[in-house]
Amino acid sequence: MEIDIQEIEQFVDLAEKFSQKSILPMFEGEFSDGNLELLPGIYDTAFDIGFASSPDMSLAGSEYGIWGSEIDSSGILSSILTLLKISEVCGGVAMGLNSQGVATNLMLQAKKELPFATAKVALCFQEGFSLPWCGTILSPNEDLPARISTSARSAENGYIINGSKSFVYSMGDVDAYVLLARVEDKWGCFIIPSDDDGLTGKDVGQRTGMRACRVNHLEFNDVFVPEDARIDDGDAMSFAIRAMCLNWIGITAIAAGIAKGAVASARTYIADRYQGGGQIEDHPAIKRLVADSEARAYAAKAAVLSLKDIDLSFAKNSLARDLKLCAMAKLTGLDLCAMAVTDCLQTFGGYGYMEDFGMEKRLRDVTTLKSAFGAPNYLRQLIFDLGKEI
Amino acid sequence: MESETIERIEQLKPKNAVRNLDALGRLFMDNREMSIWERDTSTLPKGARKWRKNALEFARKEIRPIAAKADLNPDDFDTKPLRNAAIRRGLLSLLLPFPLGKASITSSVKSLSLQVVLAAEELTTECGGLALVLLAPYLGIAPLLLSGHLPTYLRHFIPFCFKLTWFDNPACFSYAITEPGAGSDVEETIGGATARLVTTARPVKGGYVLNGRKCFISNGAIADKVTVYAKLEGEGIESWTCFIVEKSMKGFSVGRHERKMGQRASDASELIFEDVFVPNRNIVGKLRSGWANNRNVLNYSRPSVGAMSIGHGRGAFERALEFCRRTKLGNKRLIDYHDVQMELADMMISLSAARAMVWKSCMQFRCNQGSSAAVKVFASDTAVKVSNQAMELMGDHGYVHANGVERSWRDARLTQIYEGTNQINRLALIESQWDVELDRSVLGYG
Repeated sequence: MEIDIQEIEQFVDLAEKFSQKSILPMFEGEFSDGNLELLPGIYDTAFDIGFASSPDMSLAGSEYGIWGSEIDSSGILSSILTLLKISEVCGGVAMGLNSQGVATNLMLQAKKELPFATAKVALCFQEGFSLPWCGTILSPNEDLPARISTSARSAENGYIINGSKSFVYSMGDVDAYVLLARVEDKWGCFIIPSDDDGLTGKDVGQRTGMRACRVNHLEFNDVFVPEDARIDDGDAMSFAIRAMCLNWIGITAIAAGIAKGAVASARTYIADRYQGGGQIEDHPAIKRLVADSEARAYAAKAAVLSLKDIDLSFAKNSLARDLKLCAMAKLTGLDLCAMAVTDCLQTFGGYGYMEDFGMEKRLRDVTTLKSAFGAPNYLRQLIFDLGKEI
Repeated sequence: MESETIERIEQLKPKNAVRNLDALGRLFMDNREMSIWERDTSTLPKGARKWRKNALEFARKEIRPIAAKADLNPDDFDTKPLRNAAIRRGLLSLLLPFPLGKASITSSVKSLSLQVVLAAEELTTECGGLALVLLAPYLGIAPLLLSGHLPTYLRHFIPFCFKLTWFDNPACFSYAITEPGAGSDVEETIGGATARLVTTARPVKGGYVLNGRKCFISNGAIADKVTVYAKLEGEGIESWTCFIVEKSMKGFSVGRHERKMGQRASDASELIFEDVFVPNRNIVGKLRSGWANNRNVLNYSRPSVGAMSIGHGRGAFERALEFCRRTKLGNKRLIDYHDVQMELADMMISLSAARAMVWKSCMQFRCNQGSSAAVKVFASDTAVKVSNQAMELMGDHGYVHANGVERSWRDARLTQIYEGTNQINRLALIESQWDVELDRSVLGYG
């Protein structure tokens, strides 16, 4: 079934209502990142409404949630627009929903019943310093520059997993992890309950921004997973590509939403604030800052929307091109959005730096996203290498 | 790489190839193995060199161990011990030489601000907030020095400097110009002419009564004395006069402490004046000299903000460099990758350029509006750029507080705002050069 444009508009309207009614109250009171104790309730509401996708087929978001199963038949536009809208109010909540969605989407690729029930899930992909580089994506055993060290070894009726994963993004209180690991010279994708004895997690600690989503490091010590908890058909490379593409599209959409929110706040503030004998908005220096910001936010949104028709089959002949397009969107989009947000903050003068107007939070969030799940240097290298693969 | 190629590369390195030059040729080649810090320091006058070194040692020994804690829990952090340690070390007495300060006399006669500027960069490398705690008092006392007013010197400035230099626990000064409805307005001529100011001084017998509010005042909550600018009742900003308000004065109180993105160890507070009686002896300079005095204070403080900016950027650079040295990707350290080296080189170049500009602006005895404004803009933009690069270089690790780089980035962002936003500083540069060279051709085009 195709989703038509009216239905997408309804999703976006719903996302706006969700942002206003469920997320905005988090910012009442003196909290730099909102009252994070309200997050479980916010995420529960996201599950109820269906924005949070879930591998649990009984939940509304399983099909139509962010990165839900419907994207394979109807495309990703509704997920992009929903993330854009939610992140205008809070990038961190949007990142939590994005992380949930990407992990869910991989699980839904299995198209089979899992041996245990899950609702909240998270993707474990990155190791050590960075995501895998081009050669290693194509073969996780390839050591250019570093092969994937987290490996699954065949055992009776299943696999034994050892290794560690870094910077695992989630909504928190994860039921199961979706792990991309090396199985000999191929990728394998496994579902691991979060309460497994061999699994230990550690919060990465105080962070610059995106505090409404959880970030953990994980260690796997002789974790046994049954055979039916491996969800690929012998090679999960397409899962790895899918995880990167959806994450980069999602992160770029979130950044574009943050930038859009920043522009809207700046416009409101400068129309109201007096300086130099008139409203701030009458000053050419301010006009330049806002105009540049608006253009950059628009360009970032255009970059992510240009990916709305991306082929999610990730066929061998187009895989490198699609991955490259997503990496370029993240590299450029995040840079544009960070510039837009910092310029909008500047229009507030000293108030922009204080927590009250929410601008400093937007800047912290978008700056965090720049380095999250693929920092610029990594993306540059990957874009160049993928260019050679095409 | 083959061993033969490795050996050839070794031979070709300038430090080895220099042996093939004649003795005189070798003399022309500066091949000394020195860090950029050492090389830069060696170009300074001897006395200034000493203070740069002292400030660096102090920052590493006293600030580094407490920086993360002070940033995370500023409300519970007592900055007094650090301030006392800095006073004992002489780092808050660098405005004047003996007997009123500890600055080097040879450097002081060449530049009033150089030694403060040098210390500012070093202190800031470890923590922007704690550095601001130590440096804001210089800003607070600057109106007294720059007033050029003998009674002010005799009543306030000289006793203060003497106490600071020779005794412990002198008064902590802070500087208050910004008002809730007038931030940039009080830092720029056209804005000043139309500013909506609320802080007013009403003449009464023996002094003035102050009413109004100031906001975002660095060290406002811990200051013993504040240099407060107020317009005289019934007049505009041209009547601005600087008053010394003491913490103990009736009607003076500290209001809201702002919650900031960075430089969190230093408070930015609201100051409230409700019928505060200030005696005539606490007027700084002449009545109505406040506007000119304020503008000149900014001329001297902006190079210091430029130096602090470089400190933020350098701190981010140094911690990112350490990360790149200890972190491996595959079988190589990050620092061994060329793209990482390109990024590091770019950061070093940016910081060097900004430092050269800051130092140049302090090479004359007096600071001037144009170069101070230009320095502040360039150095603060550089600091934000470099600290962004440092974070990005570290990938996801860059945004983790424990690594100390994101703190520098948050701290650096404020330098584009305070002491006049960078937009206001651009206007200050244009204003200073307008009549001289911008509004008329000096290039021979007729």
